[in-house]
Amino acid sequence: MEQQIQQFGAGPRELYLPEMAVITEVRRLTELETLYTVELPGGRDLGHKPGQFVEVSLYGIGEAPFSISSSPTRRGSFELGIRRVGMLTDVLAGYAPGRKIGIRGPFGNGIDVSKFTGKDVLIIAGGIGLVPMRSLINYVLDRRDEFGRLIICYGSRSDSELLFPDELAAWEKDPRTEYHVTVDRGTEAWTGRTGVITTLLPGLALDLPNTVACICGPPVMYRFVVMALRGRGLPDQNVYMSLERRMKCGVGKCGHCQINNTYVCQDGPVYNLPDIAKLREAL
Amino acid sequence: MAQYFLEQARVADFVAHLLASNTVYAPHRKGSRSYAFAKADDPAAVVLDYPRTLSSVKKFFLPPREVLLNFDLTLDAASVPPVEPGNAVFLGVHSYDLAAVRRLDFNFTTGNPERNYLARRDGARFIGVSYVPDKFHFAGSVGIDPYDMTGCDMFLTKHADGWIVDIPTGEGSELAAGFKLEAHDEPKPPRAHFTQHVFVPQARLGKVMEASYDHPVWNETADACLGCGTCNLVCPTCYCFNVQENVDIACTSGQRERSWDGCMLRGFTEVAGGEFFREKVAARQRHRVYRKFKYISDVTGQPWCVGCGRCTASCTAKISIVEIVNRLIRDSERDESILT
Amino acid sequence: MAKPRVAIFDFTGCEGCELSQLNFEDQLLDILAQVDIVEWREAMDDKADEYDIAFVEGALSTPDCIKRIHDIRRRTKVLVALGACAVDGGVNAIKNLHPIEEVRATVYGQDQYLFPTLPALPLSAVVKVDYNVRGCPMTQAEFLRVFTSLVMGKQFEEPDLAVCVECKLNENECVYERGMICLGPVTRAGCNSHCTNFGQYCIGCRGLVSEPNLKGMNEVLTSHGLAVDEAWKRLQLYNAYRLQGVRA
Ligand SMILES: Cc1cc2nc3c(=O)[nH]c(=O)nc-3n(C[C@H](O)[C@H](O)[C@H](O)COP(=O)(O)OP(=O)(O)OC[C@H]3O[C@@H](n4cnc5c(N)ncnc54)[C@H](O)[C@@H]3O)c2cc1C
Ligand code: SF4
Ligand code: SF4
Ligand code: FES
Repeated sequence: MEQQIQQFGAGPRELYLPEMAVITEVRRLTELETLYTVELPGGRDLGHKPGQFVEVSLYGIGEAPFSISSSPTRRGSFELGIRRVGMLTDVLAGYAPGRKIGIRGPFGNGIDVSKFTGKDVLIIAGGIGLVPMRSLINYVLDRRDEFGRLIICYGSRSDSELLFPDELAAWEKDPRTEYHVTVDRGTEAWTGRTGVITTLLPGLALDLPNTVACICGPPVMYRFVVMALRGRGLPDQNVYMSLERRMKCGVGKCGHCQINNTYVCQDGPVYNLPDIAKLREAL
Repeated sequence: MAQYFLEQARVADFVAHLLASNTVYAPHRKGSRSYAFAKADDPAAVVLDYPRTLSSVKKFFLPPREVLLNFDLTLDAASVPPVEPGNAVFLGVHSYDLAAVRRLDFNFTTGNPERNYLARRDGARFIGVSYVPDKFHFAGSVGIDPYDMTGCDMFLTKHADGWIVDIPTGEGSELAAGFKLEAHDEPKPPRAHFTQHVFVPQARLGKVMEASYDHPVWNETADACLGCGTCNLVCPTCYCFNVQENVDIACTSGQRERSWDGCMLRGFTEVAGGEFFREKVAARQRHRVYRKFKYISDVTGQPWCVGCGRCTASCTAKISIVEIVNRLIRDSERDESILT
Repeated sequence: MAKPRVAIFDFTGCEGCELSQLNFEDQLLDILAQVDIVEWREAMDDKADEYDIAFVEGALSTPDCIKRIHDIRRRTKVLVALGACAVDGGVNAIKNLHPIEEVRATVYGQDQYLFPTLPALPLSAVVKVDYNVRGCPMTQAEFLRVFTSLVMGKQFEEPDLAVCVECKLNENECVYERGMICLGPVTRAGCNSHCTNFGQYCIGCRGLVSEPNLKGMNEVLTSHGLAVDEAWKRLQLYNAYRLQGVRA
């Protein structure tokens, strides 16, 4: 560390200046969630990996991190699925196509998809965790022959909160996708399975060493899903998960996203289970 | 290396000499018994013999509050305000504060180098001074000698009625050029002793910390701790910040501003659904101490605490980081296996 | 966009928070330009049926106050409490420490039965309060932050950290160094450590942070020479309502 990079003053890139992008499409998903299609100047590709995120700026309101929901295989624009929970997301909920928003990123490590080549991909998404996982799902669907089975387990609080209904229906029909869904509490119209997401796991036929699992969902979900996967005999090194922490900078400077010794915005948000299993603040 | 001597009576002349062609920041009196770095203007007001300043020189490279963006709400456009370039002389810096600057350099150049910090840091020249450790300093225990000149362009060592001057760099010679200094060839006086010590070196602290995650000291400290964040804010190696949006009254323009933040503050760790993942003060105390002695240290091999004593000296609840660390060491020493 | 309709009310307090009394200088015009003031006893006779934002000063201390605040809440979309009395009950709530009959007798003497009085209550004890502007008198900069947030249609995030943080950002010498006793470590920031910037100690007018360590604070106060009761009284000055039934 003593041999510092003595390149002070040399112009590294602007870390905190967003680029103005335009919302080209707004699709209401549920009462709380909305899908925004966003285009960078000149329709330039964002150049992201599944699992990465961007910082969205509304000037005068603030900035917040959101996962990129579209796959990099879909070019020219990208999608953000955003739940209305507070200051920034409330204001964003009132935005219509044509509005400009600031974008910084893509940030974070994302999923190294090359490690999944030839493997069976098991996706476990709870609630809004489907938003980032959708990027990986569509990536696999667009390059279907590079991967083994695609198994999607999706859990939602209620059927009225299921995201991307037309895509869910397409996965259900697709013979090469194994799609399982459960809701905690179904409405009267619900004919599918009821129960928490872990109830989907025992019934799955898995080719264990050849399966990689990707988990994303609310904080409480992780511990139980990890227990269930271990119960099924899936080795920890085959398990990846996307973590969420409050972020202020997204570039490894502000310290807000730190979990024990790791910065989620730099080393994450996607972690291989053995790397965080010992972090007491992680799960 | 040649040494020179600067009589105390000529210190003001030396400051005036520096001021003739440089912007100089140096310690000044502040309040009734404190010191703070400030832009030198009156050479007679500069104090070289002081125990510690309230904030370290960090504040010149990472200002307590800093505008990151100016935005115009009518145009939906933002711009980055110009960062005033560094190029200043920092006179009267203690070796631990310079060691802290090197640690900040690491944080702001690793991963994503940050222009704001680097531009301010650019061209900084340091004139170090020795100090006599008081009841809070323990820099010696973290490997930083009061006479350590690393990073200095000149170094002043207190001796009798003046200062022995070392000029280790070319920049230092330039700063001294034109100011008459007598040659001096006596050895430096022996350093004053530290009264505060951390019992083991960093090489062993990583393991001590590892074994101490559930130590009762965290809860006991939390009983007294007010969670006020002072210990973070005065620390010369803390660099975490918060970002907030300011809007002018007419709601047509504003700034995105960052300000120093602290991991001891409750809001720092808030996550989805109003949950806090270091909800308890005890967990925050552990995080603070681990950030100084474990997390980055495991990677770089260096403690991120420089032994300045500021957090202990300014804690209203009188919580001492040295006492916490030594207690962990004592208790883990009982378990021989950890330290062998 | 239509300008928000604003109404301004006051209850029991010293009137030091009243917008008209504040030293906003030319900012007041900028403020007024962005809203329609539809009801304001101080400045106009009009009364309105509904408003977007109601700014309310003062604590509640009579049965009539309670009726009026319910009425205001019904008519407004957003209710903002202005100043320590409205937010926390303020100094008024010190009377709650004594039996109410005793208070009436002391204040009104023989006429006590002509003046119904209740223990002093912050607005939030009776109705839902959306935002607070704390301080005694209220912190002007915070009023402007709340005001611009409302005009921009965003939520206002109340600071939840100690005055010590701002005191450190301003690189003040801690007043404990000068033998003073300061409530900064448990008092909510947002005033830019106004008092300690001037070498004065913090008396806690912005109320406590969300989870104050009262036991720890009492230890600090008593170790600096206050008797146990004195220390507690210091904390109660602006926090009497919040600390009812609490004793560290
Ligand atoms: C890597 C990452 C990816 C994310 N991806 C998505 C996504 O795809 N879709 C989505 O809707 N949300 C996502 N989030 C969460 C999103 O960042 C927060 O919901 C958002 O910051 C809330 O901003 P706000 O101003 O509307 O809410 P605020 O008014 O700031 O807060 C409202 C509530 O949200 C919580 N909150 C605020 N910021 C965060 C945060 N960064 N992380 C977790 N909780 C927070 C607060 O504790 C509070 O309970 C992601 C977060 C991270 C860190
Ligand atoms: S300065 Fe002292 S009381 Fe304040 S947060 Fe730090 S340890 Fe706790
Ligand atoms: S003067 Fe008061 S507010 Fe400032 S640091 Fe000291 S205790 Fe905190
Ligand atoms: S978000 Fe700032 S360090 Fe990770």
